[in-house]
Amino acid sequence: MGFPFRVLKTGLAPAAWNMGMDEAILHQVAAGAALPTLRVYGWQPPAISIGYFQGLDEEVDREACCRAGVDIVRRITGGGAVFHHQEVTYSIVLPLSHPLARPNILDSYRVLCSGIVSGLASLGIAAEFAPINDIVAGGRKISGNAQTRKENCILQHGTILLDVDVDLMFSLLKVPQEKARGKLIEDIKARVTSVRQCLGKEGADFDRVAHAILDGFAKALDLELIEAAPTESELEMAGLLAAQKFGSPEWTAHR
Amino acid sequence: MKLELLGKPEGCKLLRVTIEAAPPHSDTSGAEPPLSPVWRVTHIQIRGDFFAIPEEAFDEIEQRLASAALTELGQRFDSLVQELGLECAGITGTGLQSLTDEALARLTAAIKE
Repeated sequence: MGFPFRVLKTGLAPAAWNMGMDEAILHQVAAGAALPTLRVYGWQPPAISIGYFQGLDEEVDREACCRAGVDIVRRITGGGAVFHHQEVTYSIVLPLSHPLARPNILDSYRVLCSGIVSGLASLGIAAEFAPINDIVAGGRKISGNAQTRKENCILQHGTILLDVDVDLMFSLLKVPQEKARGKLIEDIKARVTSVRQCLGKEGADFDRVAHAILDGFAKALDLELIEAAPTESELEMAGLLAAQKFGSPEWTAHR
Repeated sequence: MKLELLGKPEGCKLLRVTIEAAPPHSDTSGAEPPLSPVWRVTHIQIRGDFFAIPEEAFDEIEQRLASAALTELGQRFDSLVQELGLECAGITGTGLQSLTDEALARLTAAIKE
């Protein structure tokens, strides 16, 4: 028997709710009210999330996002800006006392990212962990991950790119002035890949990849997955956090 | 004087740093002396795609970096990280100092010209 882990499949949801749900799960696991939890989800409408320490107006073209109907949200985790469009997103929450938890951030990324590497391998994509927080296939980034620790728990969330539209992404994100926009976009195109680029259009199906990622975590981390729905308490807390924290201009623009 | 630093020093993610700095002693003549490494930070904000856990403690680091000399910013950062028990990835005192030194060198050269 592996480590029991609750699995939540929460489908596509708006950015503030998605971040609210990740934090709600963290609170529930921390309180001992829920098992360690693995969640897969997507974003509707598409969204940009920025890292906890990033400056909103330095990273995001707010007007362009508004015109394109793209949400903006600040995460509770560090890391960089992410355009959540065609991807599978996951989050994993476990207590620091869990045998899979590592005290050191880098070790922790390495252990938890092994689930993604294993899931991609089952799809036929040879990938590897690239410190600090990326996973690469053929030397190109296919997954980015971000982690925090609160209330004696680890929360790591991350993305697996199903497809990538770098031109659209950079119509929404700002580019450091030191680097020419065109050059940066070409660099990123060369450094990023996706499930679709690796396997073709049919391979980049959300449900198929989400299933593979869950299986990958189960195999790599020896998890016994128990499918469940979010609790009433989590749903209520996620809604509150979405409305009062992640959807608030004060939080989004706090740097 | 306000300094805006941007770069990816070795061992760091992209850092954006805003520093407000002032001379260590007020000048009775009223004229502001030229920028020099002995100037002290009066306010600093560090932004970027790094990790620092717990995140909320980073505010205290920024507050307590005020009064540091520009030449000791990195060292002070590392001490505070240790004192407050933060775990950082993608940001180091050395990287922060290197960005600051580069900006100082550029500004000093510009003043001489």
